[in-house]
Amino acid sequence: MKYKTKEAIVGYLFATPIILTVLVFTIYPIVAAFYYSLTDYQPLEARKYTYIFNPYDALEIHTGILRKEARNYTIDEMLEYFDPVSFVEIDVGVKLGEEEKKLIKEYFDSLNLLNDYREGKLPNEIKIADFMKRYMYKHGDRFTKYIPRFVGLKNFKDMLKDMYFYTSFWNALLYSIIVVPIQTLLAIILAVAANSKIKGVNFFKSVFFLPAITSSAALSMIFWLIYSKPGVLNKILVALFGRFGFQPVDYLNEPRIALFAIMAMNIWSTAGYFMVTFLAGLQDIPSSIYEAARIDGANGWQIFWKVTLPLLRPQIVFVSIMGTIGCMQVFDQIYFLIRNLRNITISFYIYKNAFEYGKMGYASALAVVLFGVILVLSLVQRKIIKEEY
Amino acid sequence: MEGSVRSVSKTSVIISYIILISYAIATLFPFTWALLVSLTPITYTDAQGVEKGINIFDWPPRIRLFPKPSAFGAPLTFQNYKLIFEVVPLYKRWLMNTIIYAGLLTVGNIILNSLGGYAFARLNFPLKNFWFTMFLATMMVPGQVTLIPQYNLLVKYGLVNTYTGLFLPKLTNVFGLFLMRQFFLNFPKELEEAARIDGSGILRTYFKIVLPNALPALSALAIYTFLGAWNDFQWPLIIMSNKEMYTLTLGLNFFKTSYYTYWQYMMAASIFMTLPMLIIFLSFQRYFIETGKAVAVKG
Repeated sequence: MKYKTKEAIVGYLFATPIILTVLVFTIYPIVAAFYYSLTDYQPLEARKYTYIFNPYDALEIHTGILRKEARNYTIDEMLEYFDPVSFVEIDVGVKLGEEEKKLIKEYFDSLNLLNDYREGKLPNEIKIADFMKRYMYKHGDRFTKYIPRFVGLKNFKDMLKDMYFYTSFWNALLYSIIVVPIQTLLAIILAVAANSKIKGVNFFKSVFFLPAITSSAALSMIFWLIYSKPGVLNKILVALFGRFGFQPVDYLNEPRIALFAIMAMNIWSTAGYFMVTFLAGLQDIPSSIYEAARIDGANGWQIFWKVTLPLLRPQIVFVSIMGTIGCMQVFDQIYFLIRNLRNITISFYIYKNAFEYGKMGYASALAVVLFGVILVLSLVQRKIIKEEY
Repeated sequence: MEGSVRSVSKTSVIISYIILISYAIATLFPFTWALLVSLTPITYTDAQGVEKGINIFDWPPRIRLFPKPSAFGAPLTFQNYKLIFEVVPLYKRWLMNTIIYAGLLTVGNIILNSLGGYAFARLNFPLKNFWFTMFLATMMVPGQVTLIPQYNLLVKYGLVNTYTGLFLPKLTNVFGLFLMRQFFLNFPKELEEAARIDGSGILRTYFKIVLPNALPALSALAIYTFLGAWNDFQWPLIIMSNKEMYTLTLGLNFFKTSYYTYWQYMMAASIFMTLPMLIIFLSFQRYFIETGKAVAVKG
């Protein structure tokens, strides 16, 4: 075999697992999300044919004829007790539309089903979809696959009238607008401080990294304690500022403050992590540049703004884009700590719609909008930071 | 510290120390406080045999180190770390679930991402650039977009509330692929060429020459994957609704809803799940910080 052919075979051998997983678990879901966003996808509806039920139990309840006594009845007698539509809807438990009812009325093979019941030929467990396929003369597949209703741009139009869409989106945006610049600046300050002939740089690096290795769930719990009304933060603030009239604040239950409290926690937990990035960048700046600036008479302040910051541009782009992407999607902290709908963010609202309200079509439309906004934001950010320096 | 060989004035050193030390205190304080609460018993029987409830909101906290460490009027103890396993018998199971999830994910990721990374760095195969561009494009898409269809896919195949459902979609990672590809691109080609001239096939070269030399990159990938899976919350929240299948982060949420007045348990559970990561971090610190740099320089 030629080396080139071998290379191609081994190449695919090596790359297939990741290509397959990306296709199945990323590419397909992206396409599906765009499709869902144009439908009224309802997870409960989607699942109604996948449940497994016991046909004997359902028939016993429906006809009132016990399984072991079924042989004592003729099929005609049994048919009198049997109505396919109410059987499927009530005893099997599938919510039916008008059109589905009509199909069942027309094509359900009651005779065959009751015969199987009589002879004991039914399985003890069967998926609703398989059951329907088995006992419909025609159109059995109408009951196997859920096809969400196509609604066009309705979800996107609904958003415009949805107050929580605006609130949650604005909150995510506000979150990014406040957290990203502060955490970036703080990280730069910490990095500059650590870069000035300090002993124990590694100690500081490790300490600052600590929140980054802690799960947001655990951090949320810890801050829940600290932020609580009788908690330590209020105790310290009262001890310091009580004489100036400071009153304890219920940080997480006060809608005007809760989101800002979480922002502060987020800045605290990521600034140290990004500091390591900036420190690496600073250490790559040759000292001759600083010396040249000093010889030209620049003071420390000028050097920071005119030399250090512009040279850190690649790191600033990276940190602010990563920060924005993270902030626009903030979820865990909101899930743990926010108790009022006024302070939720968009990803939490997406979660709520999809997994609590059962509105996956609408949730997908929200996700598509979030995607668009993140895309635009990172492009704009890249451009702004490029132009400024 | 190559960059800092320059004259730095004394005041700026002092200011730097002040900044760093105060931020270090700010960083450590929440952890220290949580640790303190986790070590405080819920009730305490004093020398007279009177059982007292302990209020962790007492102020001042009366922290003493001598003769015996104590706070809030009770001696510190590790019993809460034992008690969380007793009051929530499933906690052991959750710990196991988390280890299984993080472990499987780590093994899968280091094997599959390194194979893929090598293929994209070194081997030529049809459509290589097409796939690579596609991977790049997927990185721009936020997780919220793929979450719902991923969930529905798992529902369809009955994989909700199973380990398979939890780890299968995360078994490879495009970021991990890029990390490994970058590493292999910088890997000296001469080694592989020498092996090829000696008659070694591609597979043999990969497993005998390339992989043993890729340990630093593999370790970094392993650590990051393990950490990410251990701390993951949203994905398990969606996939695991059965209490038996919870991970530790979902367990914390359970404590929060069911034991919300027992701050000591909640803090013990929070600190407990952080400790393994702290140990990993302290043992492999350089990988964390080196990877942080490598990722940043690319951006």
